[in-house]
Amino acid sequence: MLTLLRKITPKPSLVSRVVTLQYSNDAPNFDMENPFEKEKKSCILCKNNIIPDYKNVKLISQFQSPYTGRIYGKHITGLCSTQQKLVEAEIVKAQTAGLMATYLKEPCYLGDPKLFNVDKPFRPHRF
Amino acid sequence: MITYELCLLLRVMPKPELTTTLKRAAEAIFEKGGIIRKLENLGTRDMPYKTSVHGAVHKKASYFLYEFNAPPSSLETLLDAYSRDVDIIRRQIYKKKAIEPFECTLNDEILPPAYRKDVQELISEARKLEKPKFSYNSGLDYYPFQK
Repeated sequence: MLTLLRKITPKPSLVSRVVTLQYSNDAPNFDMENPFEKEKKSCILCKNNIIPDYKNVKLISQFQSPYTGRIYGKHITGLCSTQQKLVEAEIVKAQTAGLMATYLKEPCYLGDPKLFNVDKPFRPHRF
Repeated sequence: MITYELCLLLRVMPKPELTTTLKRAAEAIFEKGGIIRKLENLGTRDMPYKTSVHGAVHKKASYFLYEFNAPPSSLETLLDAYSRDVDIIRRQIYKKKAIEPFECTLNDEILPPAYRKDVQELISEARKLEKPKFSYNSGLDYYPFQK
């Protein structure tokens, strides 16, 4: 029975070949961060580090409709929910203090630059 | 100690009268044991809406802002005193707020609905309300309940 088992000895040349085989240095490093990840978006007020204030009527009236005086929703303004809440609260404060119009945007602010396109909301309208 | 902001809309009047009105408003705060931190002139301009008070219609006003500390219980009497002042068109007291720093969450909010955290929470909340259902792959070869 023992004679049936043949002792296998590796060839010396094969061993030396295995030792010389090495991974090349230009192999991809799979631990790296996703190079195709998109840049993180932030809203226009957070980007410029602005906190809305009720005394700054020129700023907060940019978030008001010139036709109805109502506040645009966050799907139009493109603000984060925290900033949108702040803007809405400050607009109501300014209106009750008599600093800001309620049923229209004051004509002196009509020429201000547009921060967003009303006809092209960030998220679809619900109507 | 809470800092308050008092926004006063005064009738348009010459300077000496304006100063006496401002002093009167300030003394009302001092009488209640308060202190004034700041007095700011926000200018004289057209009001966004006309206001009729004390038997006259006003379309223009001088805007002033007081920043003051006073006991919170005195605010009501302070506003009442100002409401009886014929030179004051409108008055409003707000707390001066200090907003804690926050992170912009817009990036998470503009994700597709299935990836938004609030939507995922809504779905899991709705799943909780679902009644337990008999699953047909449980090994029983008949339906154990009444159909």
